[in-house]
Amino acid sequence: MKRSSSAQPSLLSRTRQALLPWIVLMTKRRRRFLAGALLIWLTLAAGLSLLGLSGWFITACALAGIALSLGLPSRLDVYVPGGGIRFFALLRTVARYIERLYNHDTVLRLLADLRYRVFGTLTRLDEAALRRHRMSDWLGRLTSDIDALDNLYLRLLMPPLVSLLVIVGVGLFVAIWWPGLASWLAGVLFVLWIGLTYGMARLCFVQSHRQVADQERLRRLVIDQLQATAELIAYQSAVWHRQQVATHEAASLDNQRRLGRYTAWGNSVIGVVTGLLLLGAIWFGGILVAEGTLAGPVLVMMLLIVLGINEVFVQLPIAFARLGGSVAAAERLNALDTEAPEKQLELPDQPLGIMMREVTHCYSSSAESTLSDISFTLGPGEQAVITGHSGAGKSTLAALLTGRLKASQGKVEIGGCEPWAVIDSQRSQRIALLTQQVDLFDASLEDNLRLGNAEASDEALWKVLEAVALDDWVRTLPAQLETPVGERGQQLSGGQARRVALARLLLMDPSLVILDEPFAAIDHATAEQVARALSDWLEGRTAIFFVHHGSRLLTQQVKHHWHLSAGKLGSER
Amino acid sequence: MTEQPLTARSWLKTLATLERRRLNLAAFLGVLAGLQTVAIVVGVAWLVDQLVVHQQTPYQLLDLLGVLALCVAGRGVCQWGQEVVSLEASLRIRQYARRQVLDKFWALGPVWLAYRQSGALATQAVENIEALDGYFARFYTQLRIVSLLPLAILCIVVKLDYLVAIFLLISAPIIPLFMALVGMGAERVNREQFAAVARLSAHFIDRVRGMATLQLFGKTESAHRDVWWATDHYRRLSMRTLRLAFLSSAVLEFFASVAIAVVAMYVGFGLLGYIDYGPSASLTLFSGLAVLLLAPEFFQPLRTLSQHYHDRATALGAAESLITVLNESSTQRGSVLAASQNSHLARLKDICVEYSSRGRVLGPVSLTVDQGDVIALSGPSGSGKSTLLALFAGFLTPSQGELELAAPRYAWLDQQPALLHGTLADNLRLADPRADEAAMLVALEQAGLGELLAHLPSGLDTLIGERGLGLSGGQAQRLALARIYLSDADLILLDEPTASLDNDTEERVIQALLKWVGEGRTLIMATHHPRAIEVAKRHFRVREGQLEEVAHEA
Repeated sequence: MKRSSSAQPSLLSRTRQALLPWIVLMTKRRRRFLAGALLIWLTLAAGLSLLGLSGWFITACALAGIALSLGLPSRLDVYVPGGGIRFFALLRTVARYIERLYNHDTVLRLLADLRYRVFGTLTRLDEAALRRHRMSDWLGRLTSDIDALDNLYLRLLMPPLVSLLVIVGVGLFVAIWWPGLASWLAGVLFVLWIGLTYGMARLCFVQSHRQVADQERLRRLVIDQLQATAELIAYQSAVWHRQQVATHEAASLDNQRRLGRYTAWGNSVIGVVTGLLLLGAIWFGGILVAEGTLAGPVLVMMLLIVLGINEVFVQLPIAFARLGGSVAAAERLNALDTEAPEKQLELPDQPLGIMMREVTHCYSSSAESTLSDISFTLGPGEQAVITGHSGAGKSTLAALLTGRLKASQGKVEIGGCEPWAVIDSQRSQRIALLTQQVDLFDASLEDNLRLGNAEASDEALWKVLEAVALDDWVRTLPAQLETPVGERGQQLSGGQARRVALARLLLMDPSLVILDEPFAAIDHATAEQVARALSDWLEGRTAIFFVHHGSRLLTQQVKHHWHLSAGKLGSER
Repeated sequence: MTEQPLTARSWLKTLATLERRRLNLAAFLGVLAGLQTVAIVVGVAWLVDQLVVHQQTPYQLLDLLGVLALCVAGRGVCQWGQEVVSLEASLRIRQYARRQVLDKFWALGPVWLAYRQSGALATQAVENIEALDGYFARFYTQLRIVSLLPLAILCIVVKLDYLVAIFLLISAPIIPLFMALVGMGAERVNREQFAAVARLSAHFIDRVRGMATLQLFGKTESAHRDVWWATDHYRRLSMRTLRLAFLSSAVLEFFASVAIAVVAMYVGFGLLGYIDYGPSASLTLFSGLAVLLLAPEFFQPLRTLSQHYHDRATALGAAESLITVLNESSTQRGSVLAASQNSHLARLKDICVEYSSRGRVLGPVSLTVDQGDVIALSGPSGSGKSTLLALFAGFLTPSQGELELAAPRYAWLDQQPALLHGTLADNLRLADPRADEAAMLVALEQAGLGELLAHLPSGLDTLIGERGLGLSGGQAQRLALARIYLSDADLILLDEPTASLDNDTEERVIQALLKWVGEGRTLIMATHHPRAIEVAKRHFRVREGQLEEVAHEA
């Protein structure tokens, strides 16, 4: 609360900085944007015209009726205004329908653009960043942040633009009949517009900016309660923890309360300002009518337009009260942006050896280095087994060797090149890694296999399935290769998923292969069969096996046995 | 428990009754604001009539203008009040509902939680509770306004011109029809959109989650294109359904527009004297203009309601998901804490534990634990060791037999110690909320974290976990040891305390066990570790739910 505004960048510059890249992205669709705005404008204008014309019509009729009853000559063309009224009634309905449809379409197109852009940013992240983001609920927040920006268009850009257009349109129209009112009307409405956009944003920025963070904090506290239930019961500290949850929740609700009050304030200001404008128009209009300088029906037309104008502003307060939230979402997404590293080295066209010298790696979030002072050489075509517990640093070592991580210190070379700087296409073709955690995609078995080689023939697919002893099983499936594997491969058992991942690898033709726990969750008999096929395939390739405990399955060709413990590499036993 | 299972609707209803007063007040203020709008509109019609037909000057009408200005201000206050009061109700209801859900999690206990994803459950307690907001803050109030305000407007229109009233009245029975139509449309859109959005998000998340794999296989570019195509494909599908779904709300729009047009034509022709039946002869500019302006007001509450309709669908969806948790039977967690008379710390007599899904997992088992006992339980996974430990911890109620537990406080250590998202100090306070800094430092030193602490500039205030310092598995286990050092609990329960640890930490744990035994604390541990079993004074093997004591070779 005490934060001084001078230390912080101003609201406008902060908003611009956060949202500009996204608004630039949206300008790609500026035609749709303008067409959508025009449709909304048309809807609102038709509504105002319907009211205004109706008012004019019945007043004119009333005056004509009185004249007729007094026997005075009076002529009123009832067909043109009557047609106009019907036209506007229809136009309003139709324009509203088309507008909703059209703008919805635009929003969905934008969603595709936004996701495309964010995904592009994510493809450039390295292992360290991905590891950071793999945690917990980051993915869920990512999608809701993108949705927040998606709303930018319909909530933050469209309504203020359209209401401004309506103010101008109404001002011009009123000026034809009653210039004095026009300047007043436009002036007051413009001030109202500023208040409801800039004013609301300013008032609510801090509150709405911290809303997501608030919610996340609450979420973490709830997760704490869930994960530590055993400890909280044991040590009888539940009351202490629930107190923390309650305190934080109260603060978060208080924040929402304040935000809601400001918004309510903005909403009622619209009613009060437009109401007083109406009364003012009656007062001055009444004087002009009494003077005979303004016709009665015209007065009524103007009054009804003023009466209907509040509808133009109703969307503004809530949208701008939430500006802070959109800015926060954009800031989070902008923070993902990284410079793509320069990659131009090419691997030599021969079997690849590995050389690591005094390599130490430390993640920025970790207290101790994950790998420390690791040196080893593995000649081209040689194979090594590295044993180690989970958390010993195997995944980090694998990430360094596959060039998805840059070592904090020391030198890593594959075939004489630093893998970090090798161009992506080369790297993915020549260096293969079976990760410890298998990632299968929510697609068919075939699609998942073809990740290894898009051009592989069906025979090749069956051949690798045979190598991992899955062919019989796949043949029993009704959809065979077309069988969907489900999100994260959930339709398969752990062992099956592992073997699919292995089969996917066998479709490739890499020079260096790193296998992290290739036989985890596979029963022994099957593992032996898989190991045989694997060792045929590995013939002539450089390979490293990471395993929990020494395995008898891999002894034939393995030249080196090393042990990784707490980030240090030593000889086995 | 004879409680009926909750349904989403009944639960929302119960929640609403908690804040019935505020919600009713909000609806009352909403109706009041609506009536003031009616007053303003009728007042404007009268003023216009006076100015245009009766050639009055505004100065003669100052009184009424003043009254209308008051109405404008009053309406502003009422609108503000309506929003603020219903927001308050919504905030309180959410606070209550969240407490209810968290209490339920608590009552279900660690055994139930062990098989659930805490992330998904946290979504229940946070996002799903927040999703109730719109229903209470907007929809609920508006639903009440809709049932009152149009009726009041109709009464006034009857006085002004009964033909227009009849016209509105004819549309009135159609209104519920439209509401249902709009509702169904909105609900269907909502449901379909929701499902499609979920599928699409899943596709996106699936690809992002597998980013490392995509990078490894050099497939980031094609996946990148896929993301766009999937979203665009979804757009096409979704537009097809929306074309129909938006029609239902267009019908309501159409009605509101047509009402204005019809009334304007009727009044206009009536005033010209073209219509010579019914009340049209007595139409004046005042009554004509008033009914013209009241016609849209008649439909306005309904239009607002239809805008808030998705709030209802959202809340129902969230409630549907929440009641699955609230309807879980919470008899799974024990509340047996009978004090035993003699020196026993705990006594199990002919205890059996049965799960409906897995049948009997333990028992019958009898075991008495005295002060200073050191007990090791070993056996293959699934044999019932952990269940036995959970019984001692009071996480479970036995299906049969007698269970007496005397220790109100005990220490707990399992394979994956829980780390709170907070500071190092918070994580220690878990064991003793009143512990002072000196005691914490001693505990950390004893657990072998002294060296780590010395490297941390913020010391005990260092944040750990996702947002701060990442701890390795070994460090986390040491932190859990420090908790036990900090608490002076007599009874220490340990579930596989040495599983998947590096050698150093493993050694730490063994040393700690020896130290606690030396202090005369009571230990019950499920373990395979030969050295940990050596520490024990009594060793039981658990096999298929049965206990057999293994003679200790001294």
